[in-house]
Amino acid sequence: MNNNIVYALYDDDDILLTSVKKMKEKNLNVKEVYTPFPVHGLDKVLELKETRMAITAFIYGCIGLTFGSVLIYYIMISGEYKSWPMNIGGKPNFTFFKNLPSFVPVLFELTVMFAGHLMSLTYFYRCKLFPGSQETSPDPRTTDDKFLVEIEHENFKEVEKFLKTTGAIEIKKKDDK
Amino acid sequence: MFQLNKKLHLTSISMIAIGLLSLVIGFMSDAHSTWTNLLFNNYFFLGISLFAVVFVAIQYVAEAGWSTVFKRVPEAMMAFLPYAGIIMLFIVIAAVMHWNHIYHWLEPGIMDPNEPNYDKIIAGKEPYLNAPFFLIRSIVYVIIWIYCARKLRQLSIKGDLEGDIGERSFFKGLRVSGWFLVFFAVTSCTAAWDWIMSIDTHWFSTLFGWYIFSEWATIGFTTILLIALFLQKTGYLPDLNDSHIHDLGKFIFAFSIVWTYMWFSQFMLIWYANIPEEVTYFMQRIEQSNYSFLFWFSMVINFVVPLIMLMSRDAKRNKTILVIVSTVILIGHWINSYLLFAPGTLFEHGHLGLLEVGVFLGFIGLFIQIVSRTLSKTSVEIKSHPYLDESKHLHT
Amino acid sequence: MHKESRIRDPLIDGNKTFHDITVEVAYPVEGKANKYWWTLFGLSVILMLWGFGCIAYTIGTGIGVWGLNKTINWAWDITNFVWWIGIGHAGTLISAVLLLFRQKWRMAINRSAEAMTIFGVIQAGLFPLIHMGRPWLAYWVFPIPNQYGSLWVNFNSPLLWDVFAISTYLTVSTVFWYIGLIPDFAMIRDRVNEKINPLKKKLYSLLSFGWSGRAKHWQRFEEVSLVLAGLATPLVFSVHSIVSMDFATSVIPGWHTTIFPPYFVLGALFSGFAMVETLLIIVRKVVNMEAYITIKHIEYMNVIILFTGSMVGIAYITELFMAWYSGVEFEQYAFLNRATGPYWWAYASMMTCNVVIPQLYWIYKIRTNIIATFVLSIFVNIGMWFERFVIIVTSLHRDFLPSSWTMFSPTFVDIGIFLGTIGFFFVLFLMYARTFPVVAQAEMKTILKSSGSEFKKIDNEQ
Repeated sequence: MNNNIVYALYDDDDILLTSVKKMKEKNLNVKEVYTPFPVHGLDKVLELKETRMAITAFIYGCIGLTFGSVLIYYIMISGEYKSWPMNIGGKPNFTFFKNLPSFVPVLFELTVMFAGHLMSLTYFYRCKLFPGSQETSPDPRTTDDKFLVEIEHENFKEVEKFLKTTGAIEIKKKDDK
Repeated sequence: MFQLNKKLHLTSISMIAIGLLSLVIGFMSDAHSTWTNLLFNNYFFLGISLFAVVFVAIQYVAEAGWSTVFKRVPEAMMAFLPYAGIIMLFIVIAAVMHWNHIYHWLEPGIMDPNEPNYDKIIAGKEPYLNAPFFLIRSIVYVIIWIYCARKLRQLSIKGDLEGDIGERSFFKGLRVSGWFLVFFAVTSCTAAWDWIMSIDTHWFSTLFGWYIFSEWATIGFTTILLIALFLQKTGYLPDLNDSHIHDLGKFIFAFSIVWTYMWFSQFMLIWYANIPEEVTYFMQRIEQSNYSFLFWFSMVINFVVPLIMLMSRDAKRNKTILVIVSTVILIGHWINSYLLFAPGTLFEHGHLGLLEVGVFLGFIGLFIQIVSRTLSKTSVEIKSHPYLDESKHLHT
Repeated sequence: MHKESRIRDPLIDGNKTFHDITVEVAYPVEGKANKYWWTLFGLSVILMLWGFGCIAYTIGTGIGVWGLNKTINWAWDITNFVWWIGIGHAGTLISAVLLLFRQKWRMAINRSAEAMTIFGVIQAGLFPLIHMGRPWLAYWVFPIPNQYGSLWVNFNSPLLWDVFAISTYLTVSTVFWYIGLIPDFAMIRDRVNEKINPLKKKLYSLLSFGWSGRAKHWQRFEEVSLVLAGLATPLVFSVHSIVSMDFATSVIPGWHTTIFPPYFVLGALFSGFAMVETLLIIVRKVVNMEAYITIKHIEYMNVIILFTGSMVGIAYITELFMAWYSGVEFEQYAFLNRATGPYWWAYASMMTCNVVIPQLYWIYKIRTNIIATFVLSIFVNIGMWFERFVIIVTSLHRDFLPSSWTMFSPTFVDIGIFLGTIGFFFVLFLMYARTFPVVAQAEMKTILKSSGSEFKKIDNEQ
């Protein structure tokens, strides 16, 4: 285990943002930041990669659309349904495309259902969120009003001195918890 | 101060010349189809300039701050409203005077049971569809729309001179916008019934007014974006940043979907119920070979192109993609506008040809001239507005 | 970074800090229920049980215990179904559409509005379920291979579209709601003392899925919320459009009209916002949320009610006009009968409550008055119930065959089930108000600096 971890606690999102910027400038290794709410611009400062959640939603949506089309095609046009042909409003099931207007609603709903649910599941999986998952924040106040930065350090004294100038309200080592 | 560059100035002037030439050729060869040609092209630009007023008004009542920096763009587009309005009134007067035969129900004798061309259903609509009332309605719409547009424009200029944050003019504008939107909500529907739906006199659709509005919104947003991008490129809008462009892109994306939703709701319900009175409207467009391709083609490009190309965030911030998609949408809706008018007036004889394109170019030229002249009257940048600061710092 | 025009009113009253928001949002969960809560809860439970009894009676005896007859084969049940679904719409609108429009005021009310959505859709779902007569065979509505032969559901039927629309809507809204709830559950979890209340700690630990507020998680959280909002917006439009298509795809005069999809959506938002107001005006008082759900929030909601109410009014007039304009005599009669026939009173109530009364919101004093808003919101709820009743019953009761013309009157079972769903809805909502964070506190904290009243004062002085 790496014990060279220091926690700096802040009580304001703007101060946090400028401090993290300064830490990055000083080439400190910022391991993680815990915040009570999404701080606008923090991901840029931390140089986090752009998340690809939206892309997954798009892919899942395409899968849903394909699934819906195949399902409806099988049931209404090609498959076993043939033995029970139905003529609804003068529209017998000749081809998929001639009946498409009445398939659109279900195709749309299936697209949304796949995109919405599978993306949410991906989100839970990627963030390791599930019932029974344990909280990892070192300080419970980070869900209330405090912002915690986890930094790897070489020399505690030096880092502490620097962190104090940035406006941290509490600084402590990981082991003296 | 904005100044149109020489090249564009000359281009737009020659476009106007092409438009006038097309009209002259058209009227000499086939007057009937040229009236339709003029009407649908004018409708298209009427929609764009009228939507500009709606946009400005909505920004007031919705307390929207983001759009303030490019407020002069829709305001300049509003300046085209009197021109489109007057051409519209000209067509309406011509129809009433029987110079053209666009509105079938204006034919003499059609509502007279003793005449051979008597039509019982059309006669039943006489209390609403009669020449004097039709004319009065058209004049009232156009005058009040233009009045509100001028008022909003004046207040906007006044706000700039007021200094500080221009609060007083802002709240006055808010009130004008509220009244305008109430008037518009009713008249956008009735105008769509009068000028467009009554061409297919027997046909009716309750959704029609909202369907037309969704089209106006789509082409309106597209035009706002194109002009804003042009002004940004030529350096007149330094405060316009990617976030504004992104937001406009979102609106184009969203309204393309709204338009499709309206299109689908109207089409699907009529297709599904298959009632003869209603379904003829779509039969005319789908079964006739001169319209069927355009019908499906415009529907597909108006929906699929923005859906696929503008879905991602990066695309909505990419100016090249935005310009391509905007152009495609404008053409798609232009074709769709043609299909609102032509099948009911020209039946199997209509075809979208060079003369239609010529008149379209003429309107574009005139539009560029009017908009650039209005832009050059005041500074393109806003000086004082309550939301100016918010808009400048828009960051999403 | 927190630039906001000074003409904008603050959305958070009082001199609040981040910590104050935490404490005040957690208060109803941590504190004890007062006697108003218990009274309301007790009443709701009684209503709910009465409704369940009526449902049991219906299932045991058959649909014949309802007031339906051969001519009017759809009435009370579908009216309630559409009414509840409509109420559900405001929640998704507030959380999804207003998120896309960057409306900060949504943050105070989206949690409760979404809860209302989910509870409303549950009530709505009950009606088709019990109307099946044999609800244990409800799974037959899904396209599942079966052993009875090659029988499948019919994808041409709007009723099947409803199955897909409502199940998608219910589940996606729930997921959307829950993803937003996770950080707030984590906040409550971290405030519970494990020694004093180990069970509660355990419960909220489970509910919060181990949320820790890492930067990467927040980044994903925001994107997921945005995408879900983008998906939920067309979804909410589609759901009520599809509900309207149950009627509009038919050839019944008064049902078959093209304006139905958007008009139903607007009507749904209208009734949904009215119900949000009814609930939140009570909630803000009972759980001390007045600083977060301010008069400004109520005014904004009233403006939306005014807008949607007027649009619905335009749709009524359009329908009326087009019925005459169409020249189709059946169309014309259907609307004449609606307005002047034996159900004129239902039509008149609908017009009064939905079109005339909301116009009072043009007056500033009324739209910023809490009592007036509460009363008006009840009127809208009633009016929107009548709207569905008018559409459904008056179009059916005088059909193409005058010999089968008849009237509809609900039985005590019909009324009992409807009251039961109101009870059930309030039971769910009241339980929610005591166990869930009723305001999206994490999001609320992000706007404190731009929209908090003290922060705004400092900004304006500079």
